[in-house]
Amino acid sequence: MAAIEQQGAASGRPGGSPGTSFGDRFSMRTRRLVWVWSFLALPILFYAIIRFYPTFQAFYLSFTNWDLLRPAKFIGFANYIKLFKDPQFWKVFKNTFTYLIVGTPISLVVAFTIAFFLDRVRFMHSFIRALYFLPFLTTAAAMAWVWRWFYQPPPIGIINDVFGMLGIPQQPFIRSTDQALFSIMVTAIWAGLGFQIIIFMAGLRAIPGTFYEAARIDGLGEWAILRKITLPLLKPTTVFLVVFSSIGFLRIFDQVYNMTTNDPGGPLGSTKPLVLMIYQTAFNSYAMGYAAAQTVVLFTILLIVSLLQLWILREKK
Amino acid sequence: MATIELEKLVKRYGKVEVVKGIDLSIADGEFVVFVGPSGCGKSTTLRMIAGLEEISDGTLKIGSEVVNEREPKQRNIAMVFQNYAIYPHMTVRQNIGFGLYTSKLDKAEKDKRIEEAGKILGLEALLDRRPAALSGGQRQRVAIGRAMVRDPSAFLFDEPLSNLDAQLRAQMRIEIKRLHQKLKTTTVYVTHDQIEAMTMADRIVVMKDGVILQVGTPSELYDAPVDVFTARFIGSPSMNLVRGRRTASGAVMAPVGDILIGVRPHDLIAHATVTGSNGFTVTGTVSAVEPLGPETLVHLDVADTSIIATVREKFVPTVGSTLTCEAAPGDLYLFDASTERFLGRS
Repeated sequence: MAAIEQQGAASGRPGGSPGTSFGDRFSMRTRRLVWVWSFLALPILFYAIIRFYPTFQAFYLSFTNWDLLRPAKFIGFANYIKLFKDPQFWKVFKNTFTYLIVGTPISLVVAFTIAFFLDRVRFMHSFIRALYFLPFLTTAAAMAWVWRWFYQPPPIGIINDVFGMLGIPQQPFIRSTDQALFSIMVTAIWAGLGFQIIIFMAGLRAIPGTFYEAARIDGLGEWAILRKITLPLLKPTTVFLVVFSSIGFLRIFDQVYNMTTNDPGGPLGSTKPLVLMIYQTAFNSYAMGYAAAQTVVLFTILLIVSLLQLWILREKK
Repeated sequence: MATIELEKLVKRYGKVEVVKGIDLSIADGEFVVFVGPSGCGKSTTLRMIAGLEEISDGTLKIGSEVVNEREPKQRNIAMVFQNYAIYPHMTVRQNIGFGLYTSKLDKAEKDKRIEEAGKILGLEALLDRRPAALSGGQRQRVAIGRAMVRDPSAFLFDEPLSNLDAQLRAQMRIEIKRLHQKLKTTTVYVTHDQIEAMTMADRIVVMKDGVILQVGTPSELYDAPVDVFTARFIGSPSMNLVRGRRTASGAVMAPVGDILIGVRPHDLIAHATVTGSNGFTVTGTVSAVEPLGPETLVHLDVADTSIIATVREKFVPTVGSTLTCEAAPGDLYLFDASTERFLGRS
């Protein structure tokens, strides 16, 4: 391919006579390369300075004992060893994976169910869709505060008020070590729902109507159509959302931080995810080296989980 | 196999009537082609037969049973769609087998039927491929295969060849026709392409604006179209029309005549040398020529209309020259100028 291009460029050059302008002096190929690289230069610079440099810096810092004041001293794997011996880390690790393992499937099932039925609703379709999307546009802090208020004991908390009316016992929600994590998870699922519904609906719309008509003629019921046609054809959408939502839950921070501001991480750290631990290590304890080590661990987890999901959900030939 | 009867079939969307009470009876084993311009209601009619559209009024009988309220699957029909509707996530074998999804046959019998369908359609070597690895023609064959395995009482085709290129279309036309001759299943085929209609149909149904204009064999439609629309729709290139009046021996062109004279380009012959004519003659200026090989189509400007004539001899008229062409007696189609109804041949 390159050879052909080169040949084409060479024959296109006017008889080797040296021109004066930029366009004449260089071959077509050279001109194209200059053009392409001048466009690429800006994003490359941006990524190198804003993205890659701090990333590599974090890897380096994780092997030091930097605390913002004294110069960083290389201490090998000490941070990692400390981390794996830290019971707090394993607690946080468990919390993070609870968010991931419980949150992702629930949010996807709920989003798909809503998208599936909303797709058939004609009455005020756009309005309903906009309502579902609204939480996605709202800042996490505002949402978290509203939900925090929902979860209060009666007569302030609306959920407990409703429970009271229905004769259901009052629940402590974010004040309890058992319920706090799930209370926050509900908020997080609700916040991400709008986005997932929109994506699922786009996926559903992309399936040609004749696929369903052909299936109806072949005698398939609703359930069989869903299982044999809709879900398999929706797989690329699902893969995207699984990965996207997993990363979201693994990095969960703002909902947790805002809903438990008095005691970030909830009662006895029962809601604390990895990112919050990193934040506290870095900006409450100023143990930058230790926080960097935690970041590297989070990065590794994200990488493994994402690759694993892509591998499990890959297109089988 | 079954007969299909349409009695005063109506389809309304809100207040708009798109199919306006059509009657038709399709015999067992017949190949009927619905043809007409876009929006004439032909596809809607087919979808009502399939059960994909509700019937607003009238009765639909398949095999002498009224099926208005039956689900598509209970009608035992099979349908082939324009975009094939074969599933990209399944192999050819699974796609064909999908037609048997609800069938109570055992696995071996199902496999046998799939193999059989694959063989008839020349897909044996492709059974384990996915649709992405197939050409357009092969995909359409898979869709036909899925329809075939069910052994349905009727096949419905909804513009199945529109997505194929011209060469493949010609080939698939013959294949579908052969298949029909082999299986002898009642077939309803919708197309906007009059060539498909002419070449494949036992009977053609010409539709326009939700009504049936004419039902007949291809030659009936060609020789005795009911009106100007049908006459111009069937046959390619379209029939020439000029205003004229009747004479004792036939008809002649006349700017204020009370009839329309139709003459097919294939019947209107131009010669290199003008011979003494006893038929209908037209003289005009050549505006374009289209050599087709065995013959050449000549576009002539006559008065304020353009007509097409044929040159069968090995001469190509020059653009701008004057040319006289003639049609033999009996080759003219006469229409009433105001109602556009067919009056007879002359």
